[in-house]
Amino acid sequence: MGDTRKLEVIVEYNLLVNEEKVSVEFDQKQESLKAQINEKFYDVSFQRVSDSRLHINVNGQSLNVYAGGDDTKTVIINGRSFEVSDADLMEQNKSRKKSMDKDPTEVTPPMPAVVISVDVKEGDKIEKGDAVIVVSAMKMENTLFAPFSGTVTKVNTKEGDKVMPGDILVDIEKSELDE
Amino acid sequence: MFKKILIANRGEIALRVINTCKEMGVKTVSVYSEADDKAVHVLNSDESYFLGAPEPSESYLNIDKIIEAAKKTGAEAIHPGYGFLAENSSFAERCYAEGIVFIGPPAKVIDSMGDKITSRKIMNESGVPVTPGLISAEADHNVMKSEAEKIGYPVLIKATAGGGGKGIRVVNSEDEMEQACTSASREAANAFGNGEIYLEKFFTKARHIEFQVLADKHGNCIHVLERECSIQRRHQKIIEETPSSVLTPELREEMGKAAVAAAKAAGYINAGTVEFLLDENNNFYFLEMNTRLQVEHPVTEMVTGIDLVKKQLEIAWGDKLSITQNDVWGRGHSIECRIYAEDPEKDFFPSPGKITYLDEPKGPGIRNDCGVYSGFEVPVDYDPILSKLVVHAETRESAIDKMIKALEEYVVIGVKTPIHFLIDVLNSNPFIKGEVYTNFVEKHFSEWKPTSTNVDIAALAFIIDGLTSNGKAKTTGTVDKQQTPWETLGNWR
Repeated sequence: MGDTRKLEVIVEYNLLVNEEKVSVEFDQKQESLKAQINEKFYDVSFQRVSDSRLHINVNGQSLNVYAGGDDTKTVIINGRSFEVSDADLMEQNKSRKKSMDKDPTEVTPPMPAVVISVDVKEGDKIEKGDAVIVVSAMKMENTLFAPFSGTVTKVNTKEGDKVMPGDILVDIEKSELDE
Repeated sequence: MFKKILIANRGEIALRVINTCKEMGVKTVSVYSEADDKAVHVLNSDESYFLGAPEPSESYLNIDKIIEAAKKTGAEAIHPGYGFLAENSSFAERCYAEGIVFIGPPAKVIDSMGDKITSRKIMNESGVPVTPGLISAEADHNVMKSEAEKIGYPVLIKATAGGGGKGIRVVNSEDEMEQACTSASREAANAFGNGEIYLEKFFTKARHIEFQVLADKHGNCIHVLERECSIQRRHQKIIEETPSSVLTPELREEMGKAAVAAAKAAGYINAGTVEFLLDENNNFYFLEMNTRLQVEHPVTEMVTGIDLVKKQLEIAWGDKLSITQNDVWGRGHSIECRIYAEDPEKDFFPSPGKITYLDEPKGPGIRNDCGVYSGFEVPVDYDPILSKLVVHAETRESAIDKMIKALEEYVVIGVKTPIHFLIDVLNSNPFIKGEVYTNFVEKHFSEWKPTSTNVDIAALAFIIDGLTSNGKAKTTGTVDKQQTPWETLGNWR
């Protein structure tokens, strides 16, 4: 069985099943897949019966399983229910939010806005995270920070300007030390 | 027979009554609140009558509106189901005054059986054993103490009025007595406007066994065997069965006779239930009489073949009982599991919501009295019962097997249910051995968590569901959502 159990194209999922972490590696071929969970191998064939129902065969065991829900799904097998979610996706969603907070790559407003103040001028040496420009939109002020350390080569806006997302308000030349 | 009756209830029990009416050729009128315009009882009755807002006081508990519904639709009788107005004597009285037949006992019987002291007195005088203790209300702590001394601690201090666990205290020793009496009385006065209390023996290990009785207007009264209802949570039964695994034929006959004597002493008419406590030494004591059709009546129907709702209608119409005690015998074993929208991991807290998928178990000997369907929104306003799953098989052992299989095939998505929990209970040793006492759940399943078998398969199912999701009909998310600029920002801030 050794060779047949080898996974060729490996996709890896880290799932949460009833708050328990389960890592699944699998290789899908149309209506079947081979999977490995911890040290266990699974030969699985499957077909969708209806929106909520799948018929699967796991290592020779025939099962009706039911699934419903969006990000966190309720999976029901033989009357036992499980809450299952994709731990990586959850993490990604979290870190995407984080990166929005911490890792911008250019100085541009998030939405149509008005420039309230410009805090740098050409030639300024700035550090990553320095306040560069303050804009106002929907009655909320937002400070745009330097995405990396460097030198301001050009300021493309002034106080009172109406600016749009995508407008690069300040050009910054990355300092080589930062690399 | 009546040509048309109104059912003053909702959900599974209303549908249960409608089904028998259809078989008997009796037309049905259902009543409903704003929350229930698409409920099963409305969809399956001949006529339906709108009552009002979801709050029970504006709908299913509103006597004026229900009487008006019966009059406007020409219903000759009202079946109250269980809960709501089923044990409300003013409602029974009002029906009588309006010339509408109340399908249940006379109002005065509802009253006397609804009062703990009155019913204890009636039973005591008629030779039906009641739990040891006082037969009248008592305000003197010293009398309480000497009675407790006589029957032995622990004892229960109980309010004579009301129910629902209010005004009840367990007293383990003499020094707890005064405080327990004072607080039970105060609680009862606040809850029921009546601070009267009395005392009875508290049984730490007892079974709850009840007998179904039928009594007609012509003085005939029979019992229709027992139901064992010891498995409870939050003071509410969840698994019931018949026959009880501990009753010998002799004890069954003795208790059955006591149940009939109790019903006769009460002047009972129609279907009712006499509840007994059975202690470890097989002594039984009258607990109370339920003057309605019980939630768990289907198990009795399964083993006896008697349609209890049909009997209720016949008795209410004035017919003589068509069967005698000798015609009643049970075949095989029946178990009922109550399926509520509730979370067994969170102390069975109600879990209302929309049922997005429902697959009911089927097969020989399986009955599911179901009040919901796929797409139904379980209202927050009422008891969250979804259905009663009932099985019938040759022996207790095979009934347990059948129930487990049925539960395993029961799929409910959208609300939480105790299905998984019930499977574990039915598979447990104490249940299989019939060691079921009223403290069963707290003793064996108080810290219940879902078992972790099949976790791997659940993970695989999750992945496969994702891989094959383009085969799904789109039911959600097809409408373009208006996005706010904040959602389309990308990498900024």
